[in-house]
Amino acid sequence: MKKIIVGFAVGTVLFAVVAWNMAGGLMFVERASPFGMDETIARIQHNILNSGTGWTLTGLRNPARAVQSDGGNVLPVIMVEACSTRYSGPILKDDSVRFLSILMPCKIAVYKKNDGKVYIANMNAGLMGKMFGPLVGDIMVKVAEDQQKFIVMDPSQPAPQMIVPKPAGEGGGGLAGGSGC
Amino acid sequence: MRKIILALAMLGAAADAVLATPAVAPPVATVATAATKAASKSTADHSKFKVLQQDFKSGPEVTKACLSCHTEAAKQIHKTKHWTWDYLNPESGQRLGKKNIVNNFCTAVPSNYAFCTACHVGYGWKDNNFDFTSEANVDCLVCHDTTGTYKKPYGLAGNPATKEMEYPPKSGRMIKPADLPKIAQSVGPTSRATCGACHFYGGGGDAVKHGDLDSSMTNPSKYLDVHMDVKGLNFTCATCHATTGHNIPGSRYTPTGKDAEPARIRGKQDTSNPTTCQNCHGQSPHKSAEMAAKLNEHTDKLACQTCHIPQFARGNIATKMTWDWSTAGKLTADGKPFVIKDSSGHHESYNSKKGNFTYESEVIPEYIWINGKVKYTLLGDPVNTTGVTQINRYDGSPTDGKSRIWPVKVFRGKQPYDLETKSLLVPHTAVGYGEKDDTAYWDNFKWEAALKAGAEAAGRPFGGKFDFVKTEMTWPITHMVAPKADALGCVQCHSKGGRLENVAGIYMPGRDSNRTLDFLGWLAALAALIGVVVHGGVRVYLSRKAG
Repeated sequence: MKKIIVGFAVGTVLFAVVAWNMAGGLMFVERASPFGMDETIARIQHNILNSGTGWTLTGLRNPARAVQSDGGNVLPVIMVEACSTRYSGPILKDDSVRFLSILMPCKIAVYKKNDGKVYIANMNAGLMGKMFGPLVGDIMVKVAEDQQKFIVMDPSQPAPQMIVPKPAGEGGGGLAGGSGC
Repeated sequence: MRKIILALAMLGAAADAVLATPAVAPPVATVATAATKAASKSTADHSKFKVLQQDFKSGPEVTKACLSCHTEAAKQIHKTKHWTWDYLNPESGQRLGKKNIVNNFCTAVPSNYAFCTACHVGYGWKDNNFDFTSEANVDCLVCHDTTGTYKKPYGLAGNPATKEMEYPPKSGRMIKPADLPKIAQSVGPTSRATCGACHFYGGGGDAVKHGDLDSSMTNPSKYLDVHMDVKGLNFTCATCHATTGHNIPGSRYTPTGKDAEPARIRGKQDTSNPTTCQNCHGQSPHKSAEMAAKLNEHTDKLACQTCHIPQFARGNIATKMTWDWSTAGKLTADGKPFVIKDSSGHHESYNSKKGNFTYESEVIPEYIWINGKVKYTLLGDPVNTTGVTQINRYDGSPTDGKSRIWPVKVFRGKQPYDLETKSLLVPHTAVGYGEKDDTAYWDNFKWEAALKAGAEAAGRPFGGKFDFVKTEMTWPITHMVAPKADALGCVQCHSKGGRLENVAGIYMPGRDSNRTLDFLGWLAALAALIGVVVHGGVRVYLSRKAG
């Protein structure tokens, strides 16, 4: 009996260690883009607008700008921000999960790495949503489905124009029309 | 109360005035002029020279006035590549220089003189009959203007506008003539702005050609270039390209792959290239860093630029990376040329006159060995019709003792070649201002006529049939030096998939592995682990036994 309990405890600890190490990788998804920075961003933006599920662009944020203006050398990073009130509304109305507003708006990061390639990263909304009960889980599954459409890079389609938001205060954010979250 | 209202109204009006002011900075050279006048250490004020107080009507008139004092200047210029656009590489025997080589941007000068020679340090080079012996045709102002107002528009054969003219033709936009008397009286040393007037705009636009030279370098921050930082060292181009008798050192035709000389000592006879990093920093440039000794071990294999220019096109101006001439010539339904903007909205991704392009900023360089020897594919040389033709090929290897690893921009394109001679062709693209002919591609969009005219001007045969060949042109990167804190870190190269992934011929820890060596290493680690466990176990056992 003692052996079984010890074995179970060891197994649990090992599982926890493995899960802990893998969690980071599972929560976020990264893939290479076949296009340059501007074109990748533009294609994501237009995919968002053409998704037909109520998504609007809420910003284009450049977290590297502050570092650069401080004299630092950072490869380009741009966050494409989008929101759909269809999904954000129910979460924001429920006090028990309202804290998830911290994840809003939905962000897709486009960045260059030292291999010279451009990458796209986004949160694994489906997996993350499951941790917060059925309401959030159901919504996040749909968000995840939409996210997959946003990052489709179809070379047969001509390159669209990037939508550059009008400056709106500090921080490199700004709103490009739309409802915002 | 009225006073308060009045004050608020005035404040509002002032704010309006500020906001209404266009957000356009004055030309850099103008700013420089104000500073230069105040702090100038020059012993001459050119505005006080009688010979310059004339109502100059043309560039050559100004030059004659300059030469009345600077009697040897034109003779010196005549000997330089800036004047001849011609250079015989003593090592390869190849005749290079702008008028001889072909690139994969606008391709070549022959048949397009009046357009290309906007960047010649002379006046009037519009065809093969240009007088290279004329001293009056030397353009002093293009390098020595300090007003920032001296411009040489494309199509005027290197002349500035001397009367108000519609430019570009049929655009409805007018340009004013250069104020030659004012410019002549304001001459001074060269500046980033004067060198940049051509070198920042090579290939037909800002940042197009070089990648490490663009208009952001006119007034760079420390982040962009630690040497040229306007608030810091404030180097001009000539600080490194130290000029003697108008001969400007530093050449892509005969680059210095590896400068093994110590730092230059004043007064010592030194014929080494003054533009290299080593010329000031020597062979052991790392002094204070923790890893100084280790970093200094790298300097015999790595060009300084490899670590200290982490990316090029870092000034928020994208550089052109590809140019496909084979798609040029598409017209609208009513036969008009058109332009398509790229995703950024700032650049063209297609232009009927030129084909398709791509641009990129913050570009990670490619890395190659360079020993200073370079071979060009010239007109008449065979091209690789099934693969990629190297427009220029830098030699180098890890074993020749003369090479270092350099960062480079590789510009990829597709350009016309002769199916019969299997060599590159020159398209006749542009005509002089106000001129028209039936063969210029940018007017007529007929490849055969344009290539025939180009071949004739270049003195080459044209078989009548052509196709497009893939080409690559390599540009060593040497400007836009970042602050030392932004130099590459160890793992950016010493890792799999790192910066130097494709550099062959060397063993790099972190990137490369040797199975035997790895096995022995792991064996040693395992033996150490076993040793620790056994040793610990024995001690525990003995202590229990004793206790």
